[in-house]
Order: sequence, then structure tokens, then C-alpha cells
Amino acid sequence: MASLFYIAAIVAVLATILMLTRLNPVHALLYLTVSLLAVAVVFFTLGAPFMAALEVIVYAGAIMVLFVFVVMLLNLGKHTVDAERPLARPEAFTGPGILAAILLFEVVFVLARAQSRTFVLAQVGPREVGLSLYGPYLLGVELASILLLGALVGAYHVGSRRAQGRTGVVRSDRVRVAAGGDLVRAGDDRSSGPA
Amino acid sequence: MNSADFTVLLPLIVLGSTAVVVMLAIAFHRSHPLTATLTEIGLAVAFWSLWPAAAAVPRQVTPLLIVDRFALYYFGLILAATFAVVLMAYGYLERHDVRREEFYVLLVVAALGSLVLVASDHFVSFFLGLEILSVTLYALAAYLTDREIALEAGMKYLVLAAASAAFLLFGMALVYAETGTMEFPALAAQLAEGGAAHIWVLAGVAFMVTGFGFKLAVVPFHLWTPDVYQGAPAPVTAFIASVSKGAMFAILLRFFYQSGSRDLHASLLIFAIIAVASMIAGNLMALFQNNVKRILAYSSIAHLGYLLVAFEAGGPIGAAAGTFYLTAYMVTTLGAFGVIAALSSSGRDAEEIEDYRGLFWRRPVLAVVFTAMLFSLAGIPLTAGFLGKFYTVAAGASAAIWSLIFVLVVTSAIGLFYYLRVVVALYATEPAPDEAERPPLPAVPAMGGLTLAALTGVLIWLGVYPQVVLNAIRAAMSALF
Repeated sequence: MASLFYIAAIVAVLATILMLTRLNPVHALLYLTVSLLAVAVVFFTLGAPFMAALEVIVYAGAIMVLFVFVVMLLNLGKHTVDAERPLARPEAFTGPGILAAILLFEVVFVLARAQSRTFVLAQVGPREVGLSLYGPYLLGVELASILLLGALVGAYHVGSRRAQGRTGVVRSDRVRVAAGGDLVRAGDDRSSGPA
Repeated sequence: MNSADFTVLLPLIVLGSTAVVVMLAIAFHRSHPLTATLTEIGLAVAFWSLWPAAAAVPRQVTPLLIVDRFALYYFGLILAATFAVVLMAYGYLERHDVRREEFYVLLVVAALGSLVLVASDHFVSFFLGLEILSVTLYALAAYLTDREIALEAGMKYLVLAAASAAFLLFGMALVYAETGTMEFPALAAQLAEGGAAHIWVLAGVAFMVTGFGFKLAVVPFHLWTPDVYQGAPAPVTAFIASVSKGAMFAILLRFFYQSGSRDLHASLLIFAIIAVASMIAGNLMALFQNNVKRILAYSSIAHLGYLLVAFEAGGPIGAAAGTFYLTAYMVTTLGAFGVIAALSSSGRDAEEIEDYRGLFWRRPVLAVVFTAMLFSLAGIPLTAGFLGKFYTVAAGASAAIWSLIFVLVVTSAIGLFYYLRVVVALYATEPAPDEAERPPLPAVPAMGGLTLAALTGVLIWLGVYPQVVLNAIRAAMSALF
């Protein structure tokens, strides 16, 4: 079973490297998703199915949905459909697809042979996680909440328009024009675009 | 957790409640004076709560935090410094057309992170405290969002701090993988059994040194320092230079002394090299700057190098010398950036040497305060900085680390030059050519002025009669050994 761990780990490293080297943000996000899924499989093979589920739900799920929301909130017009057409080429999905297929194969393999998990030393389920978080590590949970409070207030201040004043609004408009008027072209298409 | 646990945690609880109360007050009624007053009351109550806490120490609260006399001393230092930063920031923010109130929430949360840092003896609380401090500092550095240079400072700090946090976390993971514990005392027991020689522990400690080095801004992890010091608003720079570095030095002492990692030959060697590089590079690079904030940034790199000499000396003497040096440095650096904050106008901070030319003839008191701070940084007798250096050299001599002391003395002499360069500009008599066109200096805010006067008083008191503070430090250091 150790080999399953190593395969998933290699997939995670590969996907992360590919994510960092992609010039197009949407392609990078695809690899990021695969990387997060690979980490989930790593947790799974190490005997922490609860952590694996959290990884999928929180990172691959919620954070990715957040990215999608941001793209939606930008309210891109019809012209972005044309801009996105080259991004939707089948080649763009090949790499992430292969890596994700490896992970899927692993999960199916593990599930099919659930009885013979010798590599796993101990199963860490939700009960153990909850008991330690709200037992000895209670203060850690409280501190994490303070961390989120600080991050929230900071993001609210730095991100707010009013604090930026008029110049900030004008400047961001200029940036939009310079980037070709949409987010998608900020990637590798930008150099060839009409910006 | 029982009542004694809550008593020793009172400073943290009070500060956490302050952050929430201030935030709610802002939500209901946005008022700069009210927010600042609430913040100061919270900080004062937290400081007062050190006394009930002192009656119950030392106490391990859950596996994460330990409150002992060492932690309490640094609690006091951090709370007092944050108090001074708030006083300075009030007048500074009044001149700026931004939303001012959130500043105080962020500052209180950052101070809380520092408190967690100095009280942690577990990797989890160490990392959480560090992240609370870092995340709020990103926003604080970029607080004046209409200044591009401030946004740049915040962004640089964010990227580099995140990278260094990754190093730190990976180091912790390696140490944990090898020893199976994240608590410092248990780690010490493991290392004493011979686990120290293991390559993964060494690699882990080396990665952690990177994380420490970044936050302390020592060579070669110093590249962010001048840009962030220059770009961040002056009160925030004062906070980064004093509280953030002070808390990091405290956890450096606690981690390396209590976990026994300091006894590794490799870590002593690494820190000796870092100390020498910081002292030389910091002082040499400061020679070529014309921007006072950048001069102070490079000088802080050098000063952290001096601090590491005290760390290298080791034992109760070294820890006490380092803590005294840090106390003196915090007072001095708060004063220096306080002067910059008091002289800054809404458009830009007063940071070029030219801004200070002939200041004595226009604002004599501010010029004298700034002179005192610069003399203390240079280590001129009768100031706190001199005694700090004196004790550091004494600690180094007792540990016979002569090469480090030699570098310290030589680089201090080089450092004199750039401090005196600013002092000479302060007292220059000939008016600048465009005297008539210079904008009038902003009036010194009352609170900021009083803070500066108090800091100067403390500076001279520490330099002339350090006995009270020294006794407190010695009592505090006994908790580490």
C-alpha cells in the first residue's frame, strides 16, 4: 500500500509544479484542483479518511466554488466567450485529466481491497479529530478564530473601494482597459491579444 | 481549564475581548477618538492583569501555552510598546484621509499574536501566533491604500512572509516526523537521548532557522526589510521593528533554549554566521542610504545581529543581556519612528534626510528627542543603547566568543558614521536653498509629543539606572533554565 501513497504524492508534486508554470490562470486552477485532490488521496492512504473528506470539501470544493463565483461576479460580457474559446481546447484538459485519472484509479483500487489495508497504522476518524480539537487543542481553535478575525478585517480594509478614494477607482478602470477589458485575457493570450 | 488557567491567560483574554469590543464599537458608531480610547483602555487593562497573572505563574495551560515569568516580562514589553504605537498612530492617522478605525482592531489582534508567540511552547501555538501576527501585519503595512508604495510594501511582506512560513512549517514537520512530539520540553528529552544527531532533525532545525531569520530580518533573509520599512506607515514600521521582532526574539530564546536545539553544534554555527553577516552587511548598506526609514531598516538588521551575539553567548547571562538589549532597542526604535510619524504630512512620510535638515531650528524638542534616539542606536554612553551593547559584550566575553565581539565592536564604529550623518543634518545651520518653498511642518500632536517625551525619559533612565529593569529581567530569565 505504500506505493499508493508515493504515487499520490508524486501526482501532488507534479500537479503543483504544472500549476505554477501555467501562464493562463484558468489552466493553473485546473492543476490546483488536481493537486488538492492528490493531497486528499495522500491523507486517505495514510489512514485519515476524515481529513481526506475535509480536504475535498473545503479546498477542492468550497475554495474552487469561490473562484467560480469571482469569475461570475466580474460579470463578463459576450466578448469573453470568444476570448475563452481558445482556452477550452481539449489539450488543456489532457494533463489534469491524466493526473486525476491516476488518483481515481488509486481510490477505486483502495476501496476494492478495503480489507487488506496493512500500510495504515491507525484510522483517524471524525471522533478522534473532534476530541483532540476541543480537548487539548481548544486554545488552538480559539486562536485560529482570532486569526480569521484579523484576516477578515484586514481584507475588508485593503479591499474596500471607499478607502481607496477616487484615484483608486479610476486606476482600476484603466487597468481593466489595458488588460483588454476582461479577466481571462490576463493570461497567456494577452501578448497576442489586441490590448 | 480551571480558574488559575484563566488567571494566567488574563492578558490574552483581555486583549482578545478588546479586539471584539473595538470591532463592535466601530460597527455601531464610527469615531476615531472613541476607538483609540477603547483600544488604550483594553491595552491598559491587559497590562494591569499581568499582576494577578504573576501570582499564579509558572503554569502550563493546555499543551499549547506556558505562562511563566519570561512570558510575563515580554507580555509587559509588548503591551507597553503597542500602547505607545497607538498614541503615535492617533495623530498620524488624523492627518490621513482613510478609514482610520480598523487600524486599531488590526493592531490589537497583531499584539495578541505576539503575546501567543512569547507564551507558546508547542509548534501549533507557535505557528498560530506567528500567523496572527503576520496576517494582520500585511494589512497594516498596506493600510494607507491610496499610497502605491504602501501597497507594494504590504504585497512584498505577504509573499515573503508566506514563503518563510512554509519553510518554518516544513521544518516543524521534519522535526515532528523524527521525534514524534511538538512540545518543546518533550523535544528536549528526545534530543538529549541522541536524536539530535539525526539528519532530519538537523534539516528541520535548519528550515526553522529560515523562518526565524525572515521574521527577525537577519542576513540573508533581510531583503524585505528596507522596502517594507519605507513603504509602511511610520507607526506600523515602529510596530514591526519593535513588537514583531521582540516577540520573535522571545520565541527564538524559548525554542532554542527549552528544546535543547541550541546545544546542537550546527545551530550555534549557523547563528554565528548569520550574526556576523547581519552586523557587517546591515551597517555597510546603511552607509549608502539617504532615506531615514531605510537607514533605520538597515540599522535594525545590524542590531538584530548584535542581539544574536547575546544569543550565541548563551546561558542566563546571554539571555538576560539579549533581553535587556531588546528592551533598549524597542524603546529607541519606537522613539525614532515616533519622530518620523510626528513629522509626516498627509501626502508622504518625512523620510528623506533633507526633511530633517535644520530641524533643530524649527522644532528644537523633536530634534533633541531624535538625537537621543540616534545616540542610543549608535551606543553612546548615558543612553539605553550603550548599556545594551555593554551587557552584550560582557556576555560574549564570559562565553569567550571573541571573534563575534570583535565584529560587533568594529561594525558599531562604522555604524556611528550614518547615525551622526543624520544628527549633523538635524543641527545644520544653513537653510536649505528652497527654504521659502518648503511646506510648513505639521503641528506635533499632543499625544504623540507626550509619548516621545516619555520614551526619551525611559531611554535615559535605562541608560543611567538600569538596576530595576535588570532585576526584573534576571528574575524572568530564571524561568528558562
